[in-house]
Amino acid sequence: MKYMILTYASQQDYDGMGGKDTGKPAWTEQDFAAMGAFMEKFNSDLAESGELVETRGLAAPVLTRRLGSKEGASVVTDGPYAETQEVLAGYWVVECDSFDRATEIAARLGETPAPEHVRATAYADIRPIMESREDMVG
Amino acid sequence: MAESVPEDLLRELAPQVLGALVRRYGHFDTAEDAVQEALLAAAQQWPEQGFPDNPKAWLITVASRRLTDLLRSEQARQRREDTVAQWVLPDDWLTPPADRPVEAGDDTLILLFLCCHPSLSAASQIALTLRAVGGLTTTEIARAFLVPEATMTRRITRAKKSVKDAGARFSLPPDRDERLDAVLKVIYLIFNEGYASTAGPSLQRVELAAEGIRLARMVHALLPDDSEVTGLLALMLLTDARRPARTGPAGELIPMAEQDRTRWLQPSIAEGVDLITDALPRGPVGPYQLQAAIAAVHDEAASWTDTDWPQIVALYEVLLQLSDNPMVALNHAVAVAMAEGPTRGLELLGQIETDDRIAKDHRLHAVRAHLLEMSGDPTGARTAYELAATLTTSLPQQRYLNTKAANTT
Repeated sequence: MKYMILTYASQQDYDGMGGKDTGKPAWTEQDFAAMGAFMEKFNSDLAESGELVETRGLAAPVLTRRLGSKEGASVVTDGPYAETQEVLAGYWVVECDSFDRATEIAARLGETPAPEHVRATAYADIRPIMESREDMVG
Repeated sequence: MAESVPEDLLRELAPQVLGALVRRYGHFDTAEDAVQEALLAAAQQWPEQGFPDNPKAWLITVASRRLTDLLRSEQARQRREDTVAQWVLPDDWLTPPADRPVEAGDDTLILLFLCCHPSLSAASQIALTLRAVGGLTTTEIARAFLVPEATMTRRITRAKKSVKDAGARFSLPPDRDERLDAVLKVIYLIFNEGYASTAGPSLQRVELAAEGIRLARMVHALLPDDSEVTGLLALMLLTDARRPARTGPAGELIPMAEQDRTRWLQPSIAEGVDLITDALPRGPVGPYQLQAAIAAVHDEAASWTDTDWPQIVALYEVLLQLSDNPMVALNHAVAVAMAEGPTRGLELLGQIETDDRIAKDHRLHAVRAHLLEMSGDPTGARTAYELAATLTTSLPQQRYLNTKAANTT
């Protein structure tokens, strides 16, 4: 069974990680390096156990383009999110034996080294992935 | 005791074996699969059964047999589908007269032209070149470009089909010079993908840079008198020489001005300088030679400030005449600012800013920030650094630019 683990962050969080003081203090060089090393290990452990299908991080929300429509015509909006709005920041697709195992994997993300104010509010979602066409249209 | 097969040997023979097969039997697409299987067989069998006396002949024999099998099953399938099997007779391929021995090098070159066929997208040209000429497996290529293996398999299969559909022949194309330009561009893209990787957490993916250099060496060995080929090889060596100093311990980007030059790779610099010194007077002068000459001036300078900036300005001015590239114009502006002062550099930036190709590029704003800082305008510099930081997708680059913004007072 495949599951998607999703993490979230606001533009403010991205700025902090990018070394910029906003409403919250910026990450130090040590914070950033420790997080990188942790993620590298986390990903290689998952690849090693054969459970990692794919993982990606998304660029800052400010770089988003939203495609919508207005009176029948396509309209592109640059950077549609508010500064503090939390949006998808990255994901892992894992293939493992149970929902509990996927949850266990995601729980390890809680150990990610980060500044205290970031750790205090961080969360992840785990969602089962529909496997086939039948799951979607019966 | 089983001895492992040196990977270099197999990868060096790969294009020669494929070339020999396609020259003899045609069927570039199927032959390419057959050669991959022969390489795999060699990697498995040679350590157990011993190395053949003539590894190349062994590979050609095994690949030919495999090709025959593949074509037979293809033919049988076609017959079942009640269509006429389209065999391509050797005579249908343009081959040199029988009294002229075929150089393995010619085959490799023709393969490169096929892989960089104008009917293919850049991504497909790169993938096909790495597989058919570089001898890399689809798995390795997929890993290098961070895409799923199935995606890369499809990309390569489609590329081979496009080459076939375009009616490409296994012979040197008549528009050879133009096609060589495409080959050099693909090799440079492979190198840059490794050197300045835009995806993933770490800034450099060394294997692709090394592969680009290896391919450039191969083409240089085949066309030693082509000054642009020499220029490209020199450019890569002179750029790659700075690799150890380009990132800090935490993976952060270090710009050339602040790099520890004692960590630059002296053997690469020496080789690059020799190559470009030899190529430039031979001419005709082209963009790769000019960029290599610029890289050589940087690599030989004791520090950023001790650099021979007037010479770099002059080289960029020749380069600007050859190509309408906004990145070249940007680098020219930096060199002018270093040679004649920031005011003159900022004036030149003003002329580039209206170019849509670069207006939203973080590098333009990072340069402006730096020149404003030099000219004694910290407020303007800080705003420009911050803007540059929001425009790049790379976190290490963002951290660098935000640190600069914070330190500009």
